[in-house]
Amino acid sequence: MLNDVTFGQYYPAKSFVHSMDPRTKLLALIAFIVAIFLADTFYGMFLCLAVLIAAVIAARVPFGSVLRSVKGIIVILVITSVLNLFFHGGEHLLTPESWVIKIYRESVVFTVFLLLRLFLLVMASAILTLTTTPVRLTDGIESLLTPLKWIKFPVHELALIMSIALRFIPTLIDETNRIIAAQKARGADFESGNIFKRIKAVVPILIPLLISALRRAEELGDAMDARCYSGSKNRTKYKKLTFGWRDLVGALVFAALIAGVVLFNVYAADIWPEIYEYIIIT
Amino acid sequence: MQNENFNEQEKLNAVPPAAEGEQKEQGAAVVFDGVTFSYEEDAAPALKDFFLSVSKGEFLAVIGHNGSGKSTLARLINGLLLPDKGRVKVFGMDTLEGKNPVEIRKRAGIVFQNPDNQMVASIIEDDVAFGPENLGVEREEIGKRIDWALKAVGMEAYRTGTPSRLSGGQKQRIAIAGVLAIKPDILILDESTAMLDPRGRREVMDVVTRLNREEGMTVILITHFMEEALLADRTIVLNRGEMVMQGTPAEIFLHSERLEAYNLSLPRIGRICKNLQAAGIPVADCLTPEQLAAEVAQEGEKAGAAHRSLPYIPAPVEQNGHEWDIDVKDLTFTYSAKSPFAQRALRGIDLHIDEGEFFGIIGHTGSGKSTLVQHLNALIKLPQAEKKYRPKKVKKGEPAPVLPQIHVGQFDLSDKKCDFVKLRESVGMVFQYPEYQLFAETVFADVAFGLKNFRKGITAEETEVAVRDALEIVGLSYEEVKDKSPFDLSGGQKRRVAIAGVIVTRPHILILDEPAAGLDPLGKQEIMELLHKLHREWCRTVIVVSHDMDEIADNCTRAAVISRGEAVLCAPPRELFKREEELSSLGLDIPITAKACARLKELGYEVDTDFTCEDFSEKVISLFKGGEDA
Repeated sequence: MLNDVTFGQYYPAKSFVHSMDPRTKLLALIAFIVAIFLADTFYGMFLCLAVLIAAVIAARVPFGSVLRSVKGIIVILVITSVLNLFFHGGEHLLTPESWVIKIYRESVVFTVFLLLRLFLLVMASAILTLTTTPVRLTDGIESLLTPLKWIKFPVHELALIMSIALRFIPTLIDETNRIIAAQKARGADFESGNIFKRIKAVVPILIPLLISALRRAEELGDAMDARCYSGSKNRTKYKKLTFGWRDLVGALVFAALIAGVVLFNVYAADIWPEIYEYIIIT
Repeated sequence: MQNENFNEQEKLNAVPPAAEGEQKEQGAAVVFDGVTFSYEEDAAPALKDFFLSVSKGEFLAVIGHNGSGKSTLARLINGLLLPDKGRVKVFGMDTLEGKNPVEIRKRAGIVFQNPDNQMVASIIEDDVAFGPENLGVEREEIGKRIDWALKAVGMEAYRTGTPSRLSGGQKQRIAIAGVLAIKPDILILDESTAMLDPRGRREVMDVVTRLNREEGMTVILITHFMEEALLADRTIVLNRGEMVMQGTPAEIFLHSERLEAYNLSLPRIGRICKNLQAAGIPVADCLTPEQLAAEVAQEGEKAGAAHRSLPYIPAPVEQNGHEWDIDVKDLTFTYSAKSPFAQRALRGIDLHIDEGEFFGIIGHTGSGKSTLVQHLNALIKLPQAEKKYRPKKVKKGEPAPVLPQIHVGQFDLSDKKCDFVKLRESVGMVFQYPEYQLFAETVFADVAFGLKNFRKGITAEETEVAVRDALEIVGLSYEEVKDKSPFDLSGGQKRRVAIAGVIVTRPHILILDEPAAGLDPLGKQEIMELLHKLHREWCRTVIVVSHDMDEIADNCTRAAVISRGEAVLCAPPRELFKREEELSSLGLDIPITAKACARLKELGYEVDTDFTCEDFSEKVISLFKGGEDA
């Protein structure tokens, strides 16, 4: 039942993007999101798209797997675009006056922008998860959150919890599969019946799983104690994240992207005045 | 000779008094001084007025039945538990002076039973680094320690890999490396090999012995396996929280009667020696099959024994209806097919199991044996039986692809219309560690779960009768346990309840995956006895997945060896275990009886046996009674 969950979507390869520091990639993603929401001209949007495509090429991941990431939000995309198309409003009516449904030029432009933004957003996040292992990602997040230690935020503990969770997900998936198989062998039926029956059918899986998780937690606690764990005090860290030349290149690219987007926002009218009003959202 | 034995007996009886412990304390790594510990106030103490001194560099083995206090002992040493009475000292540091448990844990590291539950990180080097990081070791030094620790356990090639793809033995070696990176002086292994297959056990024991011999590390090994305890300098036996025997492993294991009194079963080799002695053959007690063979040959020489035993006469085969035969053809299976993580688990397995057999399936962890048995009750369905299946169009001139076929009794598992629910009712499956699947509030409800699933509309009276029968055949008292929570039972009882929950529907075929895993020797023996009882009275066919060769030799009518997804050999143990070379090339062992036979053959004695302890003893005795010549 859970065989299809290959945990995380890391795509193993050696590439420019793979060997970047996870912190750079996280910050770059934030920068990219800022850029796509700053951009209110198609010029800026295309610049973002170009950077995204360049990133995919530099990451050596198949375009297909990046595109597939959009699959998960397709329903949201359809609903929001339909709603925006019909209810956004505007000045230039495209449909005949007599129609009940009124679509304006502004709402079309707005919807296209919205779709582009969501597509770019999801695909950019996909590049991050495809090129960064969950472990590196956790390290990156921990490192970025370090300043919060000043306000007594338990950064180290949070990172440890995340890393242990990552470590145990495959183990618990295996365990779940084993319990499902065992209860199936005893005639349990998880695939038919109405919703209440199905919820009830989950009890013989959930309880053993819960008990096993608690047992594992207890054993893990002992094992950590036995290996001298005593909180974050005086603790060193073996793995240190280091910025390299790739990170510098990355930072420059994304700084340039934001600058480019802003410039387009300001000077778009001068580039090709005749189409100006079609390429901005008002 | 007599006198010497007497002295040994004396020594075994004498548990060292406190005074002796005090003298030794100076050079001792660990000292227990009159320690008593109980988990709950009113409960019987897990450890009772306990004295022990382990010297530096010593290799100590601790054996005892489940619940004898072995694990408590380990946890008391590094301060995970604190004594109620008495003191535990590690290199002179008292665990009760709890100012700095880290100081003690730095000196005494523990490796636990389940390798999965000891790993903190998803990358091996990060996991090994965890200990030194906690101690605030400098980065560069941590790197060096990782190098050293991984090399010490022979896993340096996996440094940046993830543990999830490793075998049990490899994972446990990583866990040892994680402890070694702390640079402890004492290494405690708390049943660290109990969950491993023989190859994994060997890997771990090789590492541990080397650390003791070459690095001078003090080792405290808690184990159920005699072969492991034999490697130690000294063995102690615990029974109900008390040390009841101590001495060299040889001294301990030669005192068979006493072992039995402490709920430890007699090792197989000891059982054979006893049989021979009872028949008037004066062999000395032995610990290894080689020794036994030498003894027999020597005595044979003296007594002028025959050189060929009586021939083996197979027991008359019960004629069966072949109504519940199992037939597997061309079974191939790949996990996560068509993904980058595809993993071929089975390739072209052909297998036939007759009704009425006690069939063994042998193989390492990951050889595909569990995948194979899950096909037999369609927990993994054949591709043709899947709802979505459409046959591929075959181009002209190309041979039609071979599709796997499985028949179990009258069920055709490649047929979509096969009644899979009915099939599962007829083919019971007990998974590894079945007690982990218990979930209901009472034992009664848990055992009745399967029954109610398979027989909709069964009456309360029928259910009660069936549950009562099932609980009673597994050796539990219905009245006593039916209203208890399954989680309040002991480990062995839980396993019995879990087995009852499967056999309650009276399946014709019963499949068990490692039914004796994790139990102590006596528990193992009891489970195997239970299976024979079930085979006689309850289920026509029993199929056992196991990696314990002695278990297979003693119990099975036939066994198949699965290696890398292929059925390499399939024969009765009597023929199977003569092929020592083939088996060892697959990394598999042979039972001790087969080892002794091979050695005896070299010494000029031929013993024709089916390799069960009983038949082996009988045939050796027949040598002395004139054998075939008579």
